[in-house]
Amino acid sequence: MRNRVAIILFLILPKWAAAQSSEQADTLKTQELEEVIVTATRNERTVGALPMPVTLVKKELIKSMGSVRLNDVLTEQTGLVMVPQVNGQGNGVQLQGFNPDYTLILIDGEPIIGRYTGSLELSRLAVGNIKQVEIVKGPSSSLYGSEALAGVINIITERPTTNQGNASLRYGTNNSLDLNANGSFIFKRLGIYAFANRYSTDGYDLSPQNFGKTVSPFYNYTFNTKVTYQLSDKTDITLSGRYFTEEQDFNFDVLNANKVSFRSYGKGNVRDWNINPVITHRFNSRLKAIGRFYTTDYKTSTDLRRLSDDSLTYHDDFHQTFTRGELNGEYYFNDQYITTIGVGQIQEGVQTSRYRDESTRNQQTRYAFLQQEINPYPALNIVAGIRYDYNSIYGDQLSPKFSARYEFSKRFVLKGSLGIGFKAPDFRQLYFNFTNSAAGGYSVLGTEIVKERLSQLQALGQIQSYVYDPAKIGKLEAERSFSINLGARIEPLAKLVVDINLFRNKVDNLIEDQIVATTTSNQSIYSYRNIRKAVMQGVETTLSYPLNKEVSFSLGYQLLYAKDTDVEDAVDRGEVFWRNPETLETRRLKSNEYFGLYNRSRHTGNFKIFYHNIEKGVEATFRVIYRGPFGIGDIRGNIQGEEIPQADKNNNSILDVYDDFVKGYFLTNISMAYHFNKKCRMQIGIDNLFNYTDPVYIPNLPGQLSYINLNYKL
Amino acid sequence: MKTTSYVFALAAFASVLFLSSCSNNDPAPVTLTSVTFKNLAADPPSGGYNPTNGQPIGVTKKYTFFSFKTGAIVANTDSATNKWDVGFNGTTIIVNGGQQRVGKGGAIVSTGIFDNLTVAPSDGYDMDSVINAKPVYAIPTGSGKGWYNYNAANNTITPIAGKFLIIRTGDERYAKMEIISYYKDAPETVSSAIADRYYTFRYVYQGDGTKNFK
Repeated sequence: MRNRVAIILFLILPKWAAAQSSEQADTLKTQELEEVIVTATRNERTVGALPMPVTLVKKELIKSMGSVRLNDVLTEQTGLVMVPQVNGQGNGVQLQGFNPDYTLILIDGEPIIGRYTGSLELSRLAVGNIKQVEIVKGPSSSLYGSEALAGVINIITERPTTNQGNASLRYGTNNSLDLNANGSFIFKRLGIYAFANRYSTDGYDLSPQNFGKTVSPFYNYTFNTKVTYQLSDKTDITLSGRYFTEEQDFNFDVLNANKVSFRSYGKGNVRDWNINPVITHRFNSRLKAIGRFYTTDYKTSTDLRRLSDDSLTYHDDFHQTFTRGELNGEYYFNDQYITTIGVGQIQEGVQTSRYRDESTRNQQTRYAFLQQEINPYPALNIVAGIRYDYNSIYGDQLSPKFSARYEFSKRFVLKGSLGIGFKAPDFRQLYFNFTNSAAGGYSVLGTEIVKERLSQLQALGQIQSYVYDPAKIGKLEAERSFSINLGARIEPLAKLVVDINLFRNKVDNLIEDQIVATTTSNQSIYSYRNIRKAVMQGVETTLSYPLNKEVSFSLGYQLLYAKDTDVEDAVDRGEVFWRNPETLETRRLKSNEYFGLYNRSRHTGNFKIFYHNIEKGVEATFRVIYRGPFGIGDIRGNIQGEEIPQADKNNNSILDVYDDFVKGYFLTNISMAYHFNKKCRMQIGIDNLFNYTDPVYIPNLPGQLSYINLNYKL
Repeated sequence: MKTTSYVFALAAFASVLFLSSCSNNDPAPVTLTSVTFKNLAADPPSGGYNPTNGQPIGVTKKYTFFSFKTGAIVANTDSATNKWDVGFNGTTIIVNGGQQRVGKGGAIVSTGIFDNLTVAPSDGYDMDSVINAKPVYAIPTGSGKGWYNYNAANNTITPIAGKFLIIRTGDERYAKMEIISYYKDAPETVSSAIADRYYTFRYVYQGDGTKNFK
């Protein structure tokens, strides 16, 4: 929502971008081996026994880092890069080189909706109610279906445990105020957990020479509750719900592509809620069944008015619903064989002003999955799964996955997994109906409506020419990836743990916007097509070393090569050239001179030191995050109307080593906390200590932020 | 005296040798070098662009004609002659050949390194034509189709590196040309704020009727 405004000017063509990967032991808690996650297999499994790359971030760590929103947490994890949306704003997560659209984000196993521009705005999620964040890298479509192509991030929220309460206040730079209250209450078989958060900020301004802020002031509320009830020894029910609302005040100059600006003001709203009842029944010690129902609703709207005459210059609204019922069962034959099965149905709907009418577009998905865990002997774990999805629009998808882990010794473990992931065409790609009257008057039409619109325009004699085979216009399939992850966990010295994961994702059918026709007034009509192929591969490694009970170090690094396969082939065939912008000489591009996709850094990494002395009640952290150089392309100006120079400096429209790169940068975050007693904790910290900013290329990176955080435990 | 006449004779011989060697070299083939033409105005809009719809204001819709032979612009009134070889209007480049032209010209959009092409191909030249009452050009228009890419994000036109044009002129001479910029004074970084429809290009013209570009 922070990003809304630039949409007006520079339409959002869903450029598929990407992200990265990491596998990392919780640095604070390496000594605790019994860390349990549910995301990887849908059942509780210890992290160490899983054959796929997983990262677990626990509440204690989140608190030590002083994080407020989910993006603060994820940005510090190896292999995860926070990237803005196509308009240069907001925070989505890039994982193993994939754009934010390709990572499924769940709360307690249920998807968060509101991918208004493809990526999910992670700052929508407060962290105060989070018990742990589980990150599974590599495709998990075999369990979760669409979107789980790059990986899955599952936010596990708190459950009622004991009678307790907690209140906290955090105040920091930009007049940012974060208020939290939560409580848990147990009465016999009933448990209640409740959480409330209010976050407000004045936003920030990276380009003071322009009127208006880079991020406009906003405030939001998050409410979350979870009620558990033990019906019998064998049956539990859980009912959880979430409500979120945000309002943002805009004041800025709207600048269109032809550099004509006018002062405007307005408001943006976001609201989402969900309800999630779950019933668990254990028939006997072997068979467990879970019934889940989930319904969620996301709404956002923006209004902008011209300051001079209060006339409405822009209105945009978007409303999405998602409802799912699922039944799954888990059967323990014995310790060696565990079977999980599930069936479910999803109903989704979208209504938006961007489709030029108020009707709701619906689609249904039905699915079934089967997973078999086989542990023939203690050193070997195998997880094999397959899922079938049938969708009313894009048809069926079969997503298998196979993972295995072999423990040669306690100090040397090998892991590997193979899988297919998919991402369905989103509503925008199907139904978008948008004409940008400000910037050149181009139109973007989703594949379900493009044929009809083109024939209407044809009948009116407004089509000048088709620039894409009309027979191919209007057909869209799911994007698919075949992925391999190969990893090892090595303990070369006592307590020194090295995790290495090699990954390779071969992606097909990538959806891209494509000009399909031009009108008689020379305006372009875009639609979508499955055209591109890409390979995203690299290696991720984490080294963690707990020096003693108090101090632990960790070092994370990811090397990434993300390349468009067709471009790579064309370069290999010698069909790609570059023109030296100074000498104007043209040369053939060599294979090793093609850098790859935009917005991907070849090198990313982090270095962290955590100190925690429980006796003295002192915590301290020092974290450095590095993002290497990357190229910018396909971003349509930033929110303050600054034109973003393209990376391509040498007339070949691809990113090669002679192009302009956004400089690599380090972010340093520090924090310290002191526990006065069991009840009171005070934390101070500074994020982005050296105040690194880049107003043009990285508008989603605020400058230095200092804060103080007071916490009181009832 | 003897010495003097000897020296004189030697000088005479030397000068004869010198002159003869000069006259021998005179008709030898001239090494063709590329010529750069800057800022050919291809109907730039006198009133800029309409801020609402992005359409150019104040354009004549007339082509600017160019002759490789003279290396100069040819008057628009000479459109029905063989005096011009290529014509420019906006991103469209026409050749002097085809249904509506008087000449026998044509064009090939070639991929490769401009300097490395030493001989023009003998066939494969397209001509401008009209199909279903719509013009179809030898040099295709549209982003990525001919000589340029259009960047919708920045609203800019950039010549594709490695694309150049092989032109057969109306009087069946050959030239090769490479567009370097579409913007006034060919700046290193282009943006929609810079005046466009100003071509900078380099070319090699072979006027002797052969296809050699050496």
